[in-house]
Amino acid sequence: MPTYSLTVNGRSRTVQAEPGMPLLWVLRDLLHLTGTKYGCGEGVCGACTVHEDGKALRSCLVNVADAAGRRFVTIEGLAQDGSHPCQRAWLEEDVAQCGYCQPGMIMTAAALLRTSPTPSDDEIDAAMSTHVCRCGTFDRLRRAIRRAATTEAP
Amino acid sequence: MTPVTRREFLSSSAAVGGGFLLAMRIPEREAGERLLRTALFEPNAYLSIASDDTVTIFVVRHEMGQGVRTLLPMMVAEELEADPTRIRLEQAVTGPRFAGIRLHTSGSGSSRGTYEVLRKAGAAAKEMLVTAAAERWGVAAATCRAESGAVIHHGSGRRLTYGQLAEAAAAQPVPEEPRLKDPADFRLLGTPMRRVDGPDIVTGRARYGIDVRIPGMCVASIERAPVLGARLVRFDAARALQQPGVLHVLAVTSGIQHGVAVVAEHTWAAMRARRELAIEWDLGREQTFDSDRFMADFPRRLDEDDLYVVRHEGDALAALASAAARHAATYVFPFQAHAPLETMNCTADVRADGAEFWVPTQTQHRCMEQAVKVTGLPEEKIRIHATLMGGGFGRRLFADYLAEAAEISRAMAQPVQVVWTREDETRYGYFQPCTAERLEGGLDADGRLVALVHRGSASDLTVYAIHGGRDIYDDTPPDPKAPDHYSSGLSPWGAFDNPYDIPHLRVAVADVPSPVPHGPWRAVEYPSTVFARESFLDELAHLSGQDPLAFRLGVIGEGRRMIGPIPLDRARLAMVHRVAAERSGWDQPLPEDGRRRGRGLAANVYHGGSYIALVAEVSLAEDLSDLRVERMTCVVDCGIALNPLGVTGQAESGIVWGLSYTLHGKIDFKSGQAVQRGYRHFRVLAMDEMPALDIHVVPSRERPGGFGEHAVPMVAPAVTSAVFAATGIRVRRLPVTSTALRASG
Repeated sequence: MPTYSLTVNGRSRTVQAEPGMPLLWVLRDLLHLTGTKYGCGEGVCGACTVHEDGKALRSCLVNVADAAGRRFVTIEGLAQDGSHPCQRAWLEEDVAQCGYCQPGMIMTAAALLRTSPTPSDDEIDAAMSTHVCRCGTFDRLRRAIRRAATTEAP
Repeated sequence: MTPVTRREFLSSSAAVGGGFLLAMRIPEREAGERLLRTALFEPNAYLSIASDDTVTIFVVRHEMGQGVRTLLPMMVAEELEADPTRIRLEQAVTGPRFAGIRLHTSGSGSSRGTYEVLRKAGAAAKEMLVTAAAERWGVAAATCRAESGAVIHHGSGRRLTYGQLAEAAAAQPVPEEPRLKDPADFRLLGTPMRRVDGPDIVTGRARYGIDVRIPGMCVASIERAPVLGARLVRFDAARALQQPGVLHVLAVTSGIQHGVAVVAEHTWAAMRARRELAIEWDLGREQTFDSDRFMADFPRRLDEDDLYVVRHEGDALAALASAAARHAATYVFPFQAHAPLETMNCTADVRADGAEFWVPTQTQHRCMEQAVKVTGLPEEKIRIHATLMGGGFGRRLFADYLAEAAEISRAMAQPVQVVWTREDETRYGYFQPCTAERLEGGLDADGRLVALVHRGSASDLTVYAIHGGRDIYDDTPPDPKAPDHYSSGLSPWGAFDNPYDIPHLRVAVADVPSPVPHGPWRAVEYPSTVFARESFLDELAHLSGQDPLAFRLGVIGEGRRMIGPIPLDRARLAMVHRVAAERSGWDQPLPEDGRRRGRGLAANVYHGGSYIALVAEVSLAEDLSDLRVERMTCVVDCGIALNPLGVTGQAESGIVWGLSYTLHGKIDFKSGQAVQRGYRHFRVLAMDEMPALDIHVVPSRERPGGFGEHAVPMVAPAVTSAVFAATGIRVRRLPVTSTALRASG
C-alpha cells in the first residue's frame, strides 16, 4: 500500500493508505483526529470541514494522494487552547445543541473571518448555507460570527 | 399531577467506599403520560457525594443537544446549595442497580419528569449534611447553613465541605419531606446557563458514538436489502474480500433490514468494498409499494363509519347537521425521516463471557433488550455505555443498529463498530407515518364554532409506542381494529387533546397499515394533527369573515379543565395568543413592495404543560415563486423556564425543524424503496432561509412543561395560513412548494 506524507496541525504525518482514501477518513481512522466529523461523505453537509492555508475545505472530497505534501489544520489545531475568537464566541452565544456539526461550522466561520473580517449577513449566509445543522442553531450561529468578528477586529 | 409519596421517592442507600448515596425514584411513564405504578420503592436514580467533594447524579436521561447535562445538575444544585458546574450527570448507567429500569429520553419529558424528584434529592441531602455537621460540632442544626458545597456554622464560622461530611451524612435518616425552596427564592433555576459540554464541542474533543476508538476495533458497513422487507438469498463476497483492508464479509439479519456486512480495518475500506458485493435478494411482497398511490388511496378510510372514537363531547354529528354554516377540509402529511447528522452507529465488543457496547442512544433498556437477545448473554454480563449523540429526534429510541453490531462482533469474536452511511440513514429508518385528516366544522348564525369532527387516519397510530416499530419480517398481520391500538386514551396527540372550547366535539381515528417502519419523530403525533387542526381554524375564521386572532380568542374559552389525564388552562392559551399578536404587530399593515405578503397564526398546548403561539410572516414573488418566511414570533409559556437559554434554544431549534418539513422534507417510496438518498434529496432548512426570530418566554411560576419539541408543530399551519393571507391559496398537503402553489393558484 502506498505511503503519503502530509502536515496536520503543524505535525508531519506519514500514512499508508489507498490513493483514493478521503482525507476525512485519514484524519479520523488513521490519525485518530475525530473532531472532524462524517456527515454525508459527498460534500453536502460540511461537518468534515478543515483548513488549508486558512481556507475552508471539505475533507471528504480530497483524497489522500492529492493531499500528500499539503498542510491542513483541523478543529483540534485551530487554537492551542480553544481560544480562537470563533470558539470563544460560540461559547458566549451558547450556539451548540447536539454539537456534531459545530466543528465544521467553526472551521468555515474562521476561514470566512480571515478573508472578510467584518462579514455582512449576506456573506455569512453564503458561507454557512452549505452546512447542515439538524438542530437548527442558525440564529445563534449568526450572532456568534458577528461577535467573533467584533472581538477579532483590532 | 400525581403527588409523589415518600415511598415512591427517596431512601438512603449503602454507598460503596463510605460516601453518601441517596436513592430516588423518577416516575416512569408508559406511552404518553400514564404513570407506571409499583408497590415497592424501586430506585432508578441516585445522588452520590464522594469524600473528594465530587457530586454525581446517576439518571437515565440522554444528552442529544436538548441540554439535560446542563439542566439536571442545576435542579440538584439549586436545593443542595452546590456549584452546578461541579455536579456531574452520569447518564450512561447500566448494571445491577439499574437492571429493569425502563427509562428513556423522549416526549420532552426530561425536565417535567425529574423536576420534583431531583430537587427533593438535593434538599434531602442538604438537610442530612447540615444535621451531620451540627452533630459533629455539637450545635443546633438551625445555627448552620449550607452554601457552595459546604456547611458553615453561623457563630464560629467553622466550615466542613460536603465531601468531609459525606460519610456522617449517610448515617442520618432520610427526611420524610425535605423542605423545598419557593420558586421565588431560586438562585439558579430560571437563570440562563450555558451548556456544560460547550468547551468540548468547540474544540472537537466531544466524543460521539462514531468517535469511539477501542483497541483491536474493526469497522463494518452493511449493504441492506433494497426493498422494505426483502430477504437475503445468497451473496458472493469474492470481489469484496480482495479489496484492501477488508477482513470479512457476513450476513446480518438482526437489524432493521437483512443485509451483508463488510468488515474492514477502517471505515472507508468497509464502505467502499460494499460496492463489490454481489447479492441476490428475494424482493418480496413490498416491491410494488408506492407512497403516492398509498397516500392517494388512504384518505378514503376517513369515509368509513367504523372509525375508533377517542373523544366525544356533546353530539357533534347532530350539531354539525343543524349548523348554520358548514365546512370540511382534508390535510395530508407525508412520510418523514429523522436525518440526524451523526449517522447510526454502535461499537460492540462481544466476548464469550461478557459484552460491552458504546452506543449513541435515547434508550438504554431497548439497547439492553437487543444486546441480550443477540448475544444470548445475561443482562449482568452486559455493559452499555451511552455516548453523546449527534442528534436523536426519536430515531435513537430504536436499537436496531446495536443489534447489527452485536451480531457482527459475536460472529467475529472481535470489537467492531458499525457505521451507517448518509444514504443508509435516509433510506432505512423508523419514519414519521404519513397521515390524512379531515375536519368538518359547524358555525352558528353568529359565526361561533359549535361543532367539530376531526377524523384522522395514519399509516400507523401508535407512533409513540416505541415498541411500535413493527418487525417487517414478522408475517403476523397487525389487527387494525384491536382496541388496545387506541387505548392509551391520549392518541392522537393534538386531536385528542384539542384545547378549544367547542360544545360538540368528536375525534375519531383509523389506521391504514403500511409496510413502512415507523417510530416517534420530533413532536411525535403533534406535527400532522396540529397542522390540520390549526389550518382548519384559520379556514373557518376566513369563511366566517372574522380576523383569525379574534376568531381564535372566541374558541379558546376560559377556565381550567381536564382532558383525560391532561390538565388544561385556557387562560394561558389565550395569553400567549395575545402576546404573540402584540409582538408580531398582528394588526399592523405589511410593507407594500410588490411582493405578496401575509401573516398566519397557530398555537398548541403540549400535554397541558406548555402553551405556545406562533405568528409567521411570509412573502412571495407576484408569480408565486420565491416563497420566503420572513419572520417568526414565538411566544412560550412553558411554566418556569428552568434554563431560559435552553428554552429559547429549543424554540429556535423546533422552528427550524418545523420549517424543514414545511418547506422541503418528505420521504417518498417507489418500488418499495425510499427515493431520497441523502441531504441533497431530503433537504433541511439552510441558514439563508432562516427567518428573523422573536422568541419570547413568558415569566411563569407554573410547573415546567418541558420544551424539547414544543415549538415544532405550529410552524406548518402558521406558514400555510400566512401563505393563504398572501395569496388566497390553501395548502393542505406538505411540503409547500412554489410548484404546488402555481398549480393551484
